[in-house]
Amino acid sequence: MLSCKELVAHSSDFLDGQLSLRQRLAVRAHLAMCLRCRRFIRQMRLSQAVLRQLPREPIAELDALAAKLAELRRRQR
Amino acid sequence: MDYPSDSALLARLLAGEEKAFRELVATYQGAMRAVAFAIVGSRNADEVVQDAWLAVVRNLEGFQGRSSLKTWLLTITANTAKTRLKHNRREVLLDDLPGPHGTIGDERFAADGHWLLAPHAWHQDSPEALLTEAELRECLEKTLGSLSELQGAVLQLREREGLELDEICNLLQVSLSNVRVLLHRARLKVFATLEHFEETGQC
Repeated sequence: MLSCKELVAHSSDFLDGQLSLRQRLAVRAHLAMCLRCRRFIRQMRLSQAVLRQLPREPIAELDALAAKLAELRRRQR
Repeated sequence: MDYPSDSALLARLLAGEEKAFRELVATYQGAMRAVAFAIVGSRNADEVVQDAWLAVVRNLEGFQGRSSLKTWLLTITANTAKTRLKHNRREVLLDDLPGPHGTIGDERFAADGHWLLAPHAWHQDSPEALLTEAELRECLEKTLGSLSELQGAVLQLREREGLELDEICNLLQVSLSNVRVLLHRARLKVFATLEHFEETGQC
């Protein structure tokens, strides 16, 4: 049976679908019985979602760059 | 073309439409920067991205749509970065710099592998609610800034840009097992930051 520590070590691979079938089943069996690890995985997913939604840095000089690239392209034609 | 959503944009790019280039840069420059960062480091990343954009425009007519526009752009960026590096590739730094709030390390577990210090329930359970706190956003930026260039890039490409692990390996020429290690350690540092903030209310 997988320990909590091993579950944490496998957690990213679990979330990324990188585990073998056997490992995946072991993780699922552990999660079915362990509230604390369920919470950990839930919070890992939440951390991923937070990163996804973290506002992006605005792109410096976006308009100038777009104008330059469009101009370059038109000159090629 | 296999990627229909790209073909409309491509037609506008070929026509030299400025708004189309604006869309292209706004959508993809973040991921391109992450790729450049991982390969040449922060000092030269911006220049590589600029050069990559010029190469994109030069080669636009040759884009066949056999890959998505995104993959094509990122491949050009990676190639531009590698040319610049002229085979002076740095060692892959697997061992990482400590995050400001640590990680989920061995000290959290008892000798038998059970949790000693299990995570508490967080006050917020949606990303929107968590991100309403300006201080938490800044705190996360700090943690992201503490990652090595390669590790930060891997995390960004996976979590924010939604790349598959094998795409990341190909672009950065890092093995799958190294990408997995880098990603896992980065995620635990982000986790530790969120946990710290949820428990203490400060960074």
